[in-house]
Amino acid sequence: MNIIRRLFNNPTNEELKPTAEPLIAPETLPNAMPPPLVSLATSTGEIALNTDTLTTDITNDRADDPLDAPVATAIVTKPLDPDSVSSLNLEGATRELVPDQLYGHLLHNHLTFGVASHVGAVRSNNQDAAFTLFSAGRSADEIPDFGLFIVADGMGGHHDGEKASALVARVIAAQVTKSIFMPIIQGDNISQNPISELLINAVEKANADLNVKVPEGGTTLSSCLVIGGMAYVAHVGDSRIYLAQRDTIEQITRDHSLVQRLIELDQLTPEEARDHPQHNVLYRALGQNESVEVDTLTRRLPPRSRLLICSDGLWNLVEDHELLDVIRQFNNPQEACNKLIAMANMRGGVDNITVVLLYMPG
Amino acid sequence: MPETNLLPDKVGAKDVALDTSLKSNDVLHNRYKIMGVLGGGGMGTVYQARDLNFIEVRKLVAVKEMHTIAPDATLRASMIKTFQREANILATLSHPAIPKIFDFFELYDRVYIIMEYINGSDLELILQKTKEVPIDKLIEWAIELCDVLEYLHDQKPQPVVFRDMKPSNVMIDSLGKVRLIDFGIAKSFVSGVKNTMIGTEGYSAPEQYKGDISPQSDVYSLGATLHHLLTRKDPRLEPPFSFNERPIGDANPSAPPGLIAVVNKALTFNPNERYTNCAQMKADLQALRYRPQLSFNMNVGASAPNTNGNTSSINPTNMGVGPSLVPTSLFEDVSATSSIQPSWKFKTEDEIRCSPVAYKDFAFIGSYDTNMWAVKVDTGELVWKFATHGGIASSPIMDETNRSVLFGSEDNTFYALDYRNGRVTWTFQTKDRIRSTARLAHDHVFFGSDDGKLYALGALNGRQIWSFELGTPIRSRPFVTNELIIAGGESGEIVAVTLSGNRKWGYRTKRSVMSSPFVDMNEGICFIGSSDNFMYALDANTGYNSWRYRTNGPIISSPTTYKNLVVFGSADGNLYALNAQSGREKWKFKTDKPIVASPIVHRDAVYFGSTDHMLYCLDAETGKERWKFKTGGAITATPYIAGDLLLIGSMDHKLYALPLVS
Repeated sequence: MNIIRRLFNNPTNEELKPTAEPLIAPETLPNAMPPPLVSLATSTGEIALNTDTLTTDITNDRADDPLDAPVATAIVTKPLDPDSVSSLNLEGATRELVPDQLYGHLLHNHLTFGVASHVGAVRSNNQDAAFTLFSAGRSADEIPDFGLFIVADGMGGHHDGEKASALVARVIAAQVTKSIFMPIIQGDNISQNPISELLINAVEKANADLNVKVPEGGTTLSSCLVIGGMAYVAHVGDSRIYLAQRDTIEQITRDHSLVQRLIELDQLTPEEARDHPQHNVLYRALGQNESVEVDTLTRRLPPRSRLLICSDGLWNLVEDHELLDVIRQFNNPQEACNKLIAMANMRGGVDNITVVLLYMPG
Repeated sequence: MPETNLLPDKVGAKDVALDTSLKSNDVLHNRYKIMGVLGGGGMGTVYQARDLNFIEVRKLVAVKEMHTIAPDATLRASMIKTFQREANILATLSHPAIPKIFDFFELYDRVYIIMEYINGSDLELILQKTKEVPIDKLIEWAIELCDVLEYLHDQKPQPVVFRDMKPSNVMIDSLGKVRLIDFGIAKSFVSGVKNTMIGTEGYSAPEQYKGDISPQSDVYSLGATLHHLLTRKDPRLEPPFSFNERPIGDANPSAPPGLIAVVNKALTFNPNERYTNCAQMKADLQALRYRPQLSFNMNVGASAPNTNGNTSSINPTNMGVGPSLVPTSLFEDVSATSSIQPSWKFKTEDEIRCSPVAYKDFAFIGSYDTNMWAVKVDTGELVWKFATHGGIASSPIMDETNRSVLFGSEDNTFYALDYRNGRVTWTFQTKDRIRSTARLAHDHVFFGSDDGKLYALGALNGRQIWSFELGTPIRSRPFVTNELIIAGGESGEIVAVTLSGNRKWGYRTKRSVMSSPFVDMNEGICFIGSSDNFMYALDANTGYNSWRYRTNGPIISSPTTYKNLVVFGSADGNLYALNAQSGREKWKFKTDKPIVASPIVHRDAVYFGSTDHMLYCLDAETGKERWKFKTGGAITATPYIAGDLLLIGSMDHKLYALPLVS
């Protein structure tokens, strides 16, 4: 009767427990979380191990399935050097996995993520943009984990494409920081405006700036704001966000493309859409118009779920079930990102490829 | 005399080919003196030119220049061939709405067509320059367009499909007559698009994207063109094939229903349900011409416009009579099962404002007559009643473990009664009226009181565990998760309290909260309505607001969910179903009076009562009415499902038991 016990509990102990439903029998939960095994990496991507807490006493009989097993991974905040990534990826090579035993199976309660962007094997410039921002703290203030993750796929000649995607990622990051992140870390209640409306405002501001500064450029936008265990998505265009849980992967955004619309109306099969001469015609993008309609949605990110944000350079060449395979295979999100880019390049790399991958703690 | 330039010799360089190569005063082919540019696009340029063979008069022509920049010689040759073939077709056509073609030649890297110059404006320009296109004019143009399309489609041996009907390809000449320009020739030059592009053609029929091009594709595009003219919403900026999401009547109240019906039929998604040919469409339009308001008579029949599975806003039988007269409720009544008869009724002595609960053989209902009544659930016979000292406005709940019926009364007391005989098990006194329905969870009872407190009592004996002071009457029913108790108060504040009675988060709406929160336990999202007219979606753990949705009246009704939908009523009279993740409306259902009662979902149906006296059963997926049942008074209570019966209390003092039909 864990719940009843808590009804009379000292609330300060209460706060230290994970807010999600306990996935391990309550008896095995320590009263307070152990210090993190893997602490937040510095900007150099270093991994700091807390060897004092290395234990092997918690075993998990489903350790072969990373989505089922508690995952301990490093936070790698810095994308790999593009040059080294490209040589690495084109051969399809990835680094050797660090054996699980080294990390143990301890819970740690912050999300980890990887990010990679690659020009591909055909194009001469990379018009995609990726942006990540993540903060995690542990203090009496109980500031929830906060993350902003953006993929934008720019289009337009004369470098307008990369200008457009870069500008949009930057403006949205600045807006979200100002309207949501700053109030949270300042301890203010964030404004009464719904987060989806604040995100829409940010996207509209980015669209307005884009129309002024890069009038010939356009871009897709798939962004995910994470506060605690909740994902707030804002989406325009045909970059995608997938949510992977256990053995399923679900595309949670809807492509604003002509062929997707034809599929929805039963006029095309997904296979036909792939080869359709107009498969990359969008009906909605940033920079298209003075106003832009933004899809927003809110999803709970369950413990150990994984969220993938990517440009069409990935999903056009790598099938959904293959995405899931890679996401399940790698315990390190950065390595999974590198692997996905390598796969797209192995298959021709016809477009720029950008991947952001979040692993929720278990 | 103006200076005259001859064209330079062979233009070899590729980069020049992309520029506008003809300038004013250039003379092409020793005959056509360029006056200026009329238009252009990626594929070429159209110039206005003077035919110098006519010295005495000023004969103007249009010079259409095609860039043939394909690097591959074979491809280039085939492009020119296609162009030539199309030009040949044009040369054989003779119709007042089709511009005459005078000449066709290849020069250097370009191909040229010399054709009739049309003095006028295209429809796109007219759309920009005017506020509203007069309906009678629009009908005339539509008839003329049908006529020219009909002529094209009747060509032998093969029909000519225009393929590119859109406002910018329709000119209105100086006489006000329709002229079709740009015979889709440029289209054959479009090769596989490599880069991502923004914007669709917007006017093309869905089957055109599969390569199925027939005269009916032109019918669709004509419909799309007329839709654009009527609604002034550019389809190129909207999702493809979404015309039915922008009803013409909404954007343009002056559009007669008959015209709307013609356009919608032309825009039918399935080509088989469209007009088979332009002659039919023309006939329907001509019928509108003389007495557009009255004598509309067409062969739309039962194929109501329905472009992608969503129902249309047009009632087919309503079209013939113009803006009158057939109330839609007439049709609803026909489809509604009027034969629903209650299995039993039970009359109390005052209004029933709350919901019943059933357990084993009994149903329990509180009434404003101060009594808690227990009746047999299958017959409605009285078993016992228990009198309190105040009206009962909260609903009883069943504690099966302790075999008690739990409820609060306006006599400030919370009661636990033995369900079998109505004897008091325990009571608990608050300092003001209790109108909040209790929640039983984790062996505890949680409820709010007008004294401003949220109480947690042990279910076994009614001993108080804690109380939480909100400082404002709490009339909503708390929701209890594994972590938190969430409730709303009269001040508009929504609060989440931990199981140990400490405040976790708060969210302030602008008016009182009487709607009870509902938490989707999988997603951890709390839905709650407020008298400030908004439905809110809050993160149950943090209170952060993810979206809100505005209705046109206070929301007293408590939300529930069906699959991915949040369902609730509003005092604006509508029952709403929103997408839970995005807060977008999926459907809504209009009743005649405000809805304050909460809906319930059972299997694939939504049941709810309205102050219009009706209990409704709707299809949860679509919001379509399945049946309704009329009580003798306003319904403010939530229905309760007991086996194969639906129990509903009404302000007419009665509790009804209806057989559960869905």
